[in-house]
Amino acid sequence: MTPVLLLQVMALGLLTGLVYALVAAGLSLIFGLMDVVNFAHGQFLMLAMYAAFAVHAASGVGVALELPLVVLLLFVLGVATYRGLIARALGVATNRGMVQIFVTFGLGIFLTGAAQFVFGGDFRSIGDGMLANRSLILHGLHLPLAQVAAAVVCLLAFAALALISRTEFGRALAATREDREAVALIGIDRNRIFALGWGLGCAAVGVAGVMLVQFYYVSPNVGADFALIAYVTVALGGFGSLLGALVAGILIGEVEALTALLLEPSLKQVGMFAIYLAVLMLRPRGLFGRL
Amino acid sequence: MPTLLRRAAVALVVTLMPLAWTSSVRAAGDVVIGAVFPLTGNAAQVGIDARAALETEAEIINGHHDMPMLLGAGGGLAQLGGAHVRLVFADSQNNPQTARAEAERLITQDHVAAIIGSYTSATAATISQVTERYQVPYISADNSSPSLTERGLHWIFRTSPTDVMFTGAMFEFMQAIGERTGHKAASVALIYEDSIFGSDSAAVQRKDAAAAGIRVAADIRYRANSPSLSTEVERLHAADADVLLPSSYTSDAILLMRAMHESGYAPRAIIAQDAGFVQQSFLDAVGPLAEGVMSRSAFALDATRARPAIAPVNALFHARAGKDLNDLTSRDITALQVLADAIGRAGTTQPEKLRAALAATRIDGAQTIMPWRGVAFDDKGQNSEADPVIQQIQGGTWHTVFPFAVATAAPVWNVGK
Amino acid sequence: MAKLPDNAILRRRRRELAAGGAVLLALAVLPLPIADVYTQNLIIMALLFAGLAQAWNILGGYCGQISLGHALYFGIGGYVSTLLFLRAGLPPSLGMFAGGLAAGAAALLVGWPCFRLSGHYYAIATLVVAQIAYLLALNWDFIGGATGLYVPFHAESWGDLAFRTTKRPFHYIALAFAAAAWFAGYLIEGSRWGYAWRAMRDDPVAARSLAVRLLPSKMAAASISGGLAGIGGAIFAQYVGYIDPDSVMSLQLSILIALPAVIGGVGTLWGPLLGAAVQVPISEVSRSWLGGAGRGSDLMIYGALIVTVALLRPAGLASLLRPARRPPPAAEARNANAA
Repeated sequence: MTPVLLLQVMALGLLTGLVYALVAAGLSLIFGLMDVVNFAHGQFLMLAMYAAFAVHAASGVGVALELPLVVLLLFVLGVATYRGLIARALGVATNRGMVQIFVTFGLGIFLTGAAQFVFGGDFRSIGDGMLANRSLILHGLHLPLAQVAAAVVCLLAFAALALISRTEFGRALAATREDREAVALIGIDRNRIFALGWGLGCAAVGVAGVMLVQFYYVSPNVGADFALIAYVTVALGGFGSLLGALVAGILIGEVEALTALLLEPSLKQVGMFAIYLAVLMLRPRGLFGRL
Repeated sequence: MPTLLRRAAVALVVTLMPLAWTSSVRAAGDVVIGAVFPLTGNAAQVGIDARAALETEAEIINGHHDMPMLLGAGGGLAQLGGAHVRLVFADSQNNPQTARAEAERLITQDHVAAIIGSYTSATAATISQVTERYQVPYISADNSSPSLTERGLHWIFRTSPTDVMFTGAMFEFMQAIGERTGHKAASVALIYEDSIFGSDSAAVQRKDAAAAGIRVAADIRYRANSPSLSTEVERLHAADADVLLPSSYTSDAILLMRAMHESGYAPRAIIAQDAGFVQQSFLDAVGPLAEGVMSRSAFALDATRARPAIAPVNALFHARAGKDLNDLTSRDITALQVLADAIGRAGTTQPEKLRAALAATRIDGAQTIMPWRGVAFDDKGQNSEADPVIQQIQGGTWHTVFPFAVATAAPVWNVGK
Repeated sequence: MAKLPDNAILRRRRRELAAGGAVLLALAVLPLPIADVYTQNLIIMALLFAGLAQAWNILGGYCGQISLGHALYFGIGGYVSTLLFLRAGLPPSLGMFAGGLAAGAAALLVGWPCFRLSGHYYAIATLVVAQIAYLLALNWDFIGGATGLYVPFHAESWGDLAFRTTKRPFHYIALAFAAAAWFAGYLIEGSRWGYAWRAMRDDPVAARSLAVRLLPSKMAAASISGGLAGIGGAIFAQYVGYIDPDSVMSLQLSILIALPAVIGGVGTLWGPLLGAAVQVPISEVSRSWLGGAGRGSDLMIYGALIVTVALLRPAGLASLLRPARRPPPAAEARNANAA
């Protein structure tokens, strides 16, 4: 094995890891806010990818149009999911933990079926986008343009999320997270904060979906594998920690790539799962978790 | 009040009876045939296409389309007084347990004369066990795992080639093209998904490579439906074999081609084990990147001169499915044709007689849409006359390049250049 | 939790047992008038999943440890009994207990490190462990790898749990399994552990101090739960006649094992049975009815039903069986705190 090969694989692992990180960020944000794990997260990603695909097919304008439209759509979807289902699930008298798991899980199944109903079961992809099938060549390293763009946008999205957490809304988010009762006293509408949190979390998935579909195919079941990785990423980084999602995403991308290179490609997920378990044994709340 | 209660109870029982939904009302004389395919889940599109293909063939048998092939005249099965073929579809969800339950339901409730299936090998494994126990023929239209017909089952009939036959054709081609051009393939790289299809395919390829004296430069088993295949591609790139032999379903095939292109790796030759590489969605997704890719195939859409039925049958299928026949859908059509022919010759759907008629099948290749010598089953139920072809994407469409006798285009062979 | 007088508890326990006997009897005569194989299959799968869900319920419901990896124990049971049959000739009627033992031991191995984790961390850790095992099984040629294992059929025999087309023997095997799981749940409900776990579930503060002391009992719950799931896996392998990692170790299966307990009522004696009686037929019927269309409408209906049941009956369908009771004061306080 040459050093170039190692560098190449690590570079690709980093690019992939940043996408994992952004998919995980939305999940982590929602969890941190209200203790809810969204088991339909992968399906939200899938919807974002289909939406971007549809916008592309209809307009052909490219990412510049797909990003704002899809992010807005996912934001609305997130708010609607909170208002329509999650608020109710949180209001039940018994078994709240179970109910929220299975409400989102059922929603995921429903969305998979709906996607198949609307788009059919076939694999779709944007084959002719501006970014498709081009590579950046840097010092002998081949970096797929679409993935580089995705990585950059993911970093920007993280920066945006970090900025939001410094605004008044962000402080309200943090306050609600710390003490759900006290915030009511200072005039913060908890339900509104939660709904916006869901919108924000889903918008992050929307960004990830748009960037992903530039180089990845989409089908009704595409979300499942990304979702599994997202759950592991969030738990590895620590539920509720934005920084944790970023670090864990990159770590998982690298471990996966290096396992595939140095060991057995079919066991690359074993590599990343093993790292996750090892970290969890040392830090039961993940790398940066406080919850 | 008691009557009301009783009525309510009856209503409840009727609505809850799981039997209620399969009121198998049979038109007198119809021949009912079951089809088990994945209609939901990751492989759903294959099942949906198979459904269109089987319905096309049923329409040919029952209607009046006058196709130049066996049973192409239409008008139903003449020997059964013009009885129509009726299809009942069931969703296997690509799950062996579900496939088993659905096969049982078709046999016991819809009283199907035979079952056609099933795309994936794992579902065929359980369906063939059910048909064996109930003594109903199972026509394997498109399962290529060799082990299916090696388990001593009496009720399985596979019209299409196995991985052994397919892979054999790939290595024959490499040998022949090497001799013709003087540029022999010295090494191959295997990349295959980790489910039953990829593992079986790679096992045969490894054996054939050893027998042909060709070095296996890379042997990479990857996780199906991975979010990324770029590291796998880097390993292939590093191995840089003469011929790349991928065994992948559609999703991975798309990812693989893109990752190779992005990393600047262009294999000198790619000969695919069919599956994902022959799907329309693969071509749509990777477009020009697929130029020059070869695949083994059981079907040759361009063999219209030798098989005059291809064009009109394809037109009929296209009207239904919105796409051309491919390697899988053509095999579904042929499976139903072979089965209907046997039912006709048996003159009945009585299982023993139908089995005997299937075993005695002798169909000339020219009477089908396939480029095969014909259809005739050996004592294991395997069609021994299903000769695969090698095809290549040239100018965005598939052309048959081997065997040279039936080729419609000369192969582009870059090994040694 | 309000303390009931001892004899009232005793009376209720006796009533539960009598009801269990009556249901067992009813289920034992149920297949007699049913000739149609598909319905028989439906009932067998429902019974099998009732037993599996009850196995899950022992750990996930009573003990409060939500496992999303029970397919691991199911798969181990199926593989161990099948491999012992194929390689050593041990009849599956015995092999299934070996499978159960192996699965129970695996549950101990998983439980020991994972019980230190709380809430979602525990759930995702179990999911990850099961997924690792699934990937290893897929790559391990000795146990058939991705190709899977066929269970050969020689002759009809109770020893081999092999029957040509008749389903009735499997009805009684699955019924015995479900009954055993129910009885295990019944015993645990009345045991000291059962009370301790419920106290822990209902009062998180007490839970923290109890957590360490309760580790041995949690380990016991894990091994009983995993062992039962393993026996279920062995029965499934014999029933279907073919296993591969996808059909006995997948993540989806882990969810399907937990789902009936959740629909029926987590931590209740009758929830898993009720949940399976509803969930299995609904998923089968929606598929048989609508799946053939290949449009995904079956998934939409199935998903919508899960959401509806979870929202309308948060305590599960079992809560329909008895009049609404006020939640215990501790739980009430917690809900007020969080809601």
